[in-house]
Parts: sequence; C-alpha cells; structure tokens
Amino acid sequence: MTARAPTNQKLRRTWSSVFETGAGARIYPYLMVLPAVIIVVGVVVYPLVSGITSAFHDVTLRTLNSGDMPFVGLRNFERVFADPSFGIASFNTLVWVVLNVVAQLSLGLGLALLLHRAMPGIGFFRSGILVPWVVPSVVAVLTWRWMYDPSVGIVNELLVRWGVINDYHPWLGDTATSLYAVTVESIWKGTPFVMLLLLAALQLVPRSIMEAASMDGASGWRKLWHVILPQIRVSFAIAAVLTFILTVNNFNAIWLMTEGGPLNSSEILFTLAYKYGFQRYDLGMASAVATMLFVGLVIATTLYLKLIQAKEGE
Amino acid sequence: MRHFWKTSTIAAALVAALGATPAFADNIVLWVNGPLASAPDAPIYAELKAFEAETGHTVELQAVPHMEMERNLFVALSGGAGPDVMALDIAWVAGLADAGLLADVTEQSDPIADEYQPGPLSAGRFKQRQYAMPLYTNNVALYVNNKMLAEAGIDAPPKTWDEFEAAAIAMTDKNAGTFGLTFGGSRVGAFQLYPFIWQSGAEIIADDGAVGVGSPEAIEAVKFVSDLYTEHQAMPASVLTANSWDEVNAPFIQERAGMLISGDWAIGALNNGNPDLDYSIVPLPEGAQAATVIGGYNLAINANSDVSEASWELVEWLTGPRSIELMAQYQRLSAQAAAATDEAIAKLPEDLQPFMTQASAGRARPVVAQWSQIHSDVFGSVWDSALRGQPIDEVMAQAATQIEQILGQ
Repeated sequence: MTARAPTNQKLRRTWSSVFETGAGARIYPYLMVLPAVIIVVGVVVYPLVSGITSAFHDVTLRTLNSGDMPFVGLRNFERVFADPSFGIASFNTLVWVVLNVVAQLSLGLGLALLLHRAMPGIGFFRSGILVPWVVPSVVAVLTWRWMYDPSVGIVNELLVRWGVINDYHPWLGDTATSLYAVTVESIWKGTPFVMLLLLAALQLVPRSIMEAASMDGASGWRKLWHVILPQIRVSFAIAAVLTFILTVNNFNAIWLMTEGGPLNSSEILFTLAYKYGFQRYDLGMASAVATMLFVGLVIATTLYLKLIQAKEGE
Repeated sequence: MRHFWKTSTIAAALVAALGATPAFADNIVLWVNGPLASAPDAPIYAELKAFEAETGHTVELQAVPHMEMERNLFVALSGGAGPDVMALDIAWVAGLADAGLLADVTEQSDPIADEYQPGPLSAGRFKQRQYAMPLYTNNVALYVNNKMLAEAGIDAPPKTWDEFEAAAIAMTDKNAGTFGLTFGGSRVGAFQLYPFIWQSGAEIIADDGAVGVGSPEAIEAVKFVSDLYTEHQAMPASVLTANSWDEVNAPFIQERAGMLISGDWAIGALNNGNPDLDYSIVPLPEGAQAATVIGGYNLAINANSDVSEASWELVEWLTGPRSIELMAQYQRLSAQAAAATDEAIAKLPEDLQPFMTQASAGRARPVVAQWSQIHSDVFGSVWDSALRGQPIDEVMAQAATQIEQILGQ
C-alpha cells in the first residue's frame, strides 16, 4: 500500500479487492446472501420459533404485560386436548381438507381439459372462469353469505324453484349443513387457480405425444390416465400441495361466513386457534394448536413430495 | 446555500427547544372508535382543537373500527406500545385492567365521581379501582313498526312480557312472510338476551361472584325468548346466522319483522335503510322487574404512557360537562349525571329520549376479566343451543358449570 506498484501487473488494492483472495474470498458469497438471510430470519424464522416457544409457555394478556411467562411444559397441549371443541375442529378440518382438495383438483383438471383446445372465443371462457379467483375473498364470502340467506337468498329460491327442496333452508345456520355450505364457496373460489396451473402444464405437453396416442387408438380415459396425467404430474403435484396448504389455512371463508359456528359445527383448527388467541387472549393455547397444524402440514407435504419423487425415479 | 444552512439551523434549534419544553406541552396519542371520527369535520376534531388551545398539549387522533379495536389494543398494549388514551367498549375494561395494561385513575376520579351517572361509571371500575371514565352511554330499547302493530290489531307498544309475546305472535303471518321480532344469533343474540335474564330477577354473575344462570328465573327468561322462534316461529330464520347488527336490522328495515331490540346505534341504520319506515322506540318490556343492558364507550389511559398527567387532563375534558354538548352532536348520550335530569332529557331528540328515561334500569355486564370469553364461548353457545331446541335447563346448567370453571382458573 505504501508505494504504487511500478507496473500494472500488481493492481492497486481497492476496497473491493479485499474479497478477491484468502478469507475475504471465502466470506464473500455469505455476505452477498446476508441481507436475504436477515429478512428471512426476521419475518419467517423468528415468528415461527417464537410461536413454537409460546406453545410451551403460559402466554396470556396478563403474563405478556408482566414479561414473566413461565415454562409450562405440555400443559397448553393438555388443555387443548381437554377442550371438546378441539375434537370437533380436528374432525371438521379433515372433512374440510379432503372435500376441498379432491373437488378442487378434479374440477380444476376437468376445466383445464375442457379449455385446452383451440376454438373461437376460448380466451373469453379462460379468463371468465378465473373471476372467482380474482374476486377479493372478503367480497366473495359476503356475497355467498347473502346467497345462502334463509329468507331472501338466491340459493334457496333456485333450489325451491327446481324442486330440489320444498322449503327454504338455513344452510349456514343448520349445524348439519354449515360446514358443507362453506365448502361449496371454498371450492368455487379455489378451483380456477388449480385450473390455471394445470392448463399451463397441458399446453406444454408436446402435440406429437397426444397425436401418437390417438393414432395408437387410445381413447378418452386411457389417454387421460396413461398419457396426459404422467406428462403433467409435476404441476399436478404442485397444485395438490398448494391446494392442501391453502385449504388448511383458509381462515377467511369460514370466519366471515359462520365464525366456526353454529355450535362449532364449522370450526376448523385455524379458527379455533384464532378464538383461543383473540377471544380468550390465551396465546399459549393458540400457539399449541398452531404448532400442531404446522407440524402436520410439514409432515403431510414432505411425505407427498417424497412420494412424487419416488414415482419420478421409477 | 448559506441561506439554507442558516434557516435549517434556526429550525433545528426551534425543534430542539420545543422538545425540551417541560411537561405542560405534551403530545397525546388518542385512539377512538371509528364512528367518532368518521369524517374530517367530525365534532371531535373541533373539541380537540379547543382542548389544545386551552392546555397547550397536542393530540394525535387515530380512528380504529369497532370490530378491530379490541384486538388492536390487545396487540399494541401487550407489546408495550399503543396510544396514551384509548376509547374502550365498556365490556373490555376488566380484561385489560386485570392484565395491568390500564392506568389506575382512582385518585384523580374520586373527587369528580358525583358528576357521572352511577351505572356507566361502575362499568369502568374493576376490583374497587377506577380504570376508565365513561365517554358516552347507551342501552337497548324496543323498536316497534307502527304500521305492522296497527295491522295486527294492537293499539300500543308492549309494556310487559305477556304483551310482548302477544304482539310478536300477532304480527307473525307465514303467508305474508312477516314475523314479530328480528333477533341476532350467537354473540349478538346473547347480548340482546341479557336484559331478559335480569328482568326475570336472575343474576348472570352477582357482585359476590355467584353464578346465577342456572336459576329457574334465568331458565324461564331464555325459554321465553327462544320459544318465540322454536314454538311460535315469530322470528325469521336469519336469527340462526345473524352475527352482525346489519343482519339483525335487515328484516326490520324491510318490514318483514315488526320489532327489534337494539341501541341508539340502530337509528341511523334504520333511517338510511328505509327513510319511509314508521317506527316508535319504547323502553324494553318489563318482566318481574325493568332492566336493560348498558353499552357505550369509556376512555382509559395506557399504564405505560409517558404523558399520564396530560392524558388525564384529556380524559377529564372529553368525559366532563362538555361531553353533553359533544355527544349531542353525534346523537349519542353523555354519561354525565347532568344529562339524565328531566330537563336535559326533554331537550334530547325525540328518538333518544326513551333510552335516557330507562337509563336508571340499566345494568352493566359483569365486570370480570374473562367476560369476553364468557360472552362469546358460553352465552353464544347457550343462545345457539336454545334456538336449536335443546332443553333449556340442561343448557343453562352446563353454562353455569362452564362459567364457574372459567372464573375459577
């Protein structure tokens, strides 16, 4: 540094040249990703760890303010298991997820196949069918709430007119139908997204493969099962995982339509966690439910992706 | 350039000087519920200007929607932040005070306690200490559609349970699609149910902590109201799902239901929804005794506020004698004692007078820390179960046990 090198062969040491050799060069890549790491730690890792820790501590309005949140081991989990609502919510979550995932994937695939053909005006249908997905979820849910209204709702009006039912029915107010009524809205809202993913995948399937299949005499179902599905398998898997996660976390639909009621009949684990957290202000119990949900989601998603990978390897 | 530096230096010096000014010019952050600051010309802004001119303090006003207020306060206060002064639904005081989030203002408020109506003032008291001062008060009364009542052959709005039931049944006509009474489901319905429980002579939670919901009187009250739906079909099926006041009001606005139990907040919604609606507001019908449920908002001070003295000045200003004038501009009722004299009541708009005349029968919901949970989880379920025909005595016995468990935690 003291004297300028006589020739150009040795470059002047600049600030940035520190990172060109030795230890500097080794930490250089880490420095480059550091900002992203800080952001991810701040907005993903920290809340996650904090949530999981809360599940094992007594976190209520009172203890939060005093700053003294004692470790309580598994007590929050015991209290959650002792609550009869938890059993109902777990079962409802299962029904809710299975119905949503199965219906959204099959309807989404059906629509994608229907719209994957060249004919005049197809662009109009393709964009039209995306409307439910584009409508803000709050608007959609409140609209459906009115459609289900037991006195003036159009759903009742149509069903009576078509002779499906004799009398207006409180779809959201009947404990036997509330969960299914919300499920219909959720399927309506989620299917276009699945269709979009699968339609994009279909359009990448080489035309020659389809033509070859047709020439070999493959008909409708066989072509779908043996030719089309294997070609779009990766997209289908992604759609399945996303639908699964979005459904488990679909708080808006249930909360805005029924708040989990009446009498817990449409309660899922997510709405139950919200009630523990923001009606009882017992964040310990809310975190216990959220932690179980998180672990469940991670296990289910990992298993599914492993399964797909294994198939891929065959 | 030199000019710029000079100006900046002077400005910086001024700012520093202002910052160093002693406590008599504090900045107070105030959260109020949305309707109080719904427009830039809302009366509260002029009132705060007057306060600033008088005291030299500055007030930063933020409006929060009612439905989000409780959650926002909880999140902000428990994180050590939040406003210096906040407007609270009177039902939230106990929970926040119990958590140590509200400043104890007993010393400052005792000398002026006589200036307030006792019911609303007591709603700000928790464990013999005062944590909040009443900003405005309300209670629920009976709204009656005059035309539907006359068509049903009834001369005057009901004054007793018997008359109330008879009117509800008389206005119900399945063929015409009309009903006697619109009512809420779950939590909203539970709120409308409380006055009936008190009217029967029962207690929800007595002052000594005894849980009274399993008593024969309480059972009778819940059965009386739920029978109007389950037995007489005098309520529209919307009672099963209505979890907002809009949904409760709708059948009354559309003249499909002849009666509505609500507070003064319904007046605006009814007049907007159907300007031709011809209705009367009367005190709630009486059972064994008269009773109505008190609502309204209090002002409280953040326990962690740096400007607690200035905050108290603001609370005293907004809830004091000037509140009569201020709340009149909102068509709301001040909780000042001077607002409840016969003379003051006569000056109120006609719509508001019935609320003030029955104010002495007003009861605050139990001031216990777990009230939000008891209201949503226990009473929401009680009402939903009753509507679905479950045996009321079993439902109420179970509710009593649940409440005892919650309080015993």
